[in-house]
Amino acid sequence: MSKLLSIIKREYVQGVRSKTFVVSTILGPAMLFVFAVVPSLLFGMKAGGATRVAILDETGRLYESVRESVTRKDEGESTPGAGRGPESAARRAGRDMEASYVVEQVALPPGGSLEEARRDLNGRIKSQTLDAYVILPRDIMETGRARFYSRSLGDVISIARLEDRLSRAVKEQRMRDSGIDPGVVQSVNREVEMSRHKPGEEGEEGTESSLFLALTVGMFIFIATMMYGQAILSAVVEEKTTRIAEMLFSSTDAFTLMAGKLVGVSLLGLTQYALWALLFVGVSVFGVGAFSAGGMDFTLPNIPPVLALYALLFFLLGFYIYATMYAVVGAMVSSEKEGAQLAYAVMMLPMAAIYLAFPVIRSPGSDFAFWVSMIPFFSPITMIVRIVAETPPFWQIALSLAVGLATVVVLVWVAARIYRTGMLMYGKRATIPEIIRWARRA
Amino acid sequence: MSDPSQPTLLLDRVTKSFDEFVAVDDLSIAVRPGRIFGLIGPNGAGKTTTIRMIVGITAPDSGRVEIFGRPIGPEMQNRIGYLPEERGLYKKMKVGEQLRFFGELKGMAGSEADRAADRWLERMKLSEWRKKKTDELSKGMQQKVQFIATIMHDPDLLILDELFSGLDPVNAGLMEEIVLELKAAGRTIIFSTHMMEAAEKLCDDICLLNRSHKVLEGSLRGVREGFGRNAVALRMEGGDGVLDDAALVASVKPYGDYSEVLLAEGADSQELLRRLVERGARVSRFERVEPSLRDIFITKVGEHNA
Repeated sequence: MSKLLSIIKREYVQGVRSKTFVVSTILGPAMLFVFAVVPSLLFGMKAGGATRVAILDETGRLYESVRESVTRKDEGESTPGAGRGPESAARRAGRDMEASYVVEQVALPPGGSLEEARRDLNGRIKSQTLDAYVILPRDIMETGRARFYSRSLGDVISIARLEDRLSRAVKEQRMRDSGIDPGVVQSVNREVEMSRHKPGEEGEEGTESSLFLALTVGMFIFIATMMYGQAILSAVVEEKTTRIAEMLFSSTDAFTLMAGKLVGVSLLGLTQYALWALLFVGVSVFGVGAFSAGGMDFTLPNIPPVLALYALLFFLLGFYIYATMYAVVGAMVSSEKEGAQLAYAVMMLPMAAIYLAFPVIRSPGSDFAFWVSMIPFFSPITMIVRIVAETPPFWQIALSLAVGLATVVVLVWVAARIYRTGMLMYGKRATIPEIIRWARRA
Repeated sequence: MSDPSQPTLLLDRVTKSFDEFVAVDDLSIAVRPGRIFGLIGPNGAGKTTTIRMIVGITAPDSGRVEIFGRPIGPEMQNRIGYLPEERGLYKKMKVGEQLRFFGELKGMAGSEADRAADRWLERMKLSEWRKKKTDELSKGMQQKVQFIATIMHDPDLLILDELFSGLDPVNAGLMEEIVLELKAAGRTIIFSTHMMEAAEKLCDDICLLNRSHKVLEGSLRGVREGFGRNAVALRMEGGDGVLDDAALVASVKPYGDYSEVLLAEGADSQELLRRLVERGARVSRFERVEPSLRDIFITKVGEHNA
């Protein structure tokens, strides 16, 4: 037991002190910021001021409402019917992002043709006194078709937003033409909102934040495995490449060594996660206030404590299951490079689990969901999804945990056997039948 | 220490094979306490496999391995110090921490391990390196650190595989000194090597392995005497023709300064000396040569392979 502790301590202390750990602990949140926050900021940023748009209104009566619609500030706006329907992502993004326009009306020159007007507008675009123009054809009310001309068609956000506003203006005009008050339509169209409850439970269930939690746990397992699986792999290979294994095995057995490494490296990972969690909590406490003050709708998910406990348990389980798979890979190979190739195969497991989670969300009580949440390589993610969606009987949760735990122990045992035998005949890479034989032999 | 009549290490009809290859075949060895036991043999003879079974890294397919009268197990491992032929340390670990770790793995308390490490580092003149990372040390220094890791828990049985390989004469001398001290303190030492000169100098008993089999075993003196080789180192002027007598001389190896004369079977060295003097030879060196372990090794392995 004390030998196990020594091995854990060594792995942990050496790991915490390593540059890799320090750097990744600092870079982790920085990267998260870069990848999660910066793109949306950049995407939303419109360089170089308002888009200058000319509108050539052939109908002669739409311009005012289009201008009004395009330049109106968003606040609680909702285009009738556009609340939840199938919308293109760009259109939705266009509505949410900041984009501003300077609109001017261009009249057809008296007696002149459309062609002439366009030539003139094209000239202005060329000389950069105009960014774009829109032609509203005479039959726009019936066909719902307009044309947009611009030097660059790359600013999808601005275009989508313009399109959205234009269509709102046209719809409202159609209503007025039919003698319908757009205000009435808006109030008629108001959406129904269902609050979610489970029978016998008071209070509203935050289903959305719970599903969010399940997927977060899945992603956390995935990320942790990706980050620390490699660390486990190199820790396991280390004694092989440095030829220390023989010395260690004359002092302790392979199982203790493997278990020690696994626990040591995982504690390392958990330390890092804990540091990040502290940071996150800190940021949240200050940040949520700041966001709310800034008028953004941002609430922290409200998670029941039992669920949080399960989430933690299944996170640990998932982490250990995949980490031991890496240990098995590490035991099979003779160098890290060789291991990296096999490691990709291991990554497939949590990915598959995340895919399997989707049918489980839809029918959490099905036989399929039951079996998938009992298979150790998938259960950490699928079971937490089931717990969130429709908490299964306790024995199922316990069984799933037990099966997972047993799998971890068996995998460590297998890794230890393969490792010891492989160490004694290093040099060539083992074939699969050889590895099976190694695992079976004492 | 332990009961002197009981062998420190006993291998009883031990066999180990890897797939179809038999690495050690029906090997029996008894190592007496307080002796230096040489496990010698050419590369691939089965020395390392034998050692691995002794230290509990692999289990024999059949036969029994006993240390201090008990089968090998975790608590027995703490009484063994093993220096494998393949040397290696954790490169990024500081020397002091590394030794503490290896000490703990042998069942020492952390502070106890630190004390032992300090003592040995001083002895090895490595004290100022204690806080340095291992990969900053020269290869020779790393060897010494690993040697400390092997002996710091004061094992009753010490197994040294190719102890001197890669060491300069000064450090080799230091190691030798320590090994002899440990022997004087009653420790049992198994010394595995294919370098016969080192084995000859240090070992009390030897066991010669070749192709998975034991070829020769016994005390070094007994083995030498039993080898029954009759040779004379000779330096002289004159005495022509005497050495050509096939009834007296089997072969002559002329070295730079002298010749080694191997006498014919049943011939007496005194007879050779008398004949040379009769012929008027001026003899400046005439010395009976004991067979070297190297000669025994080459002859025995040659015979066994034939």
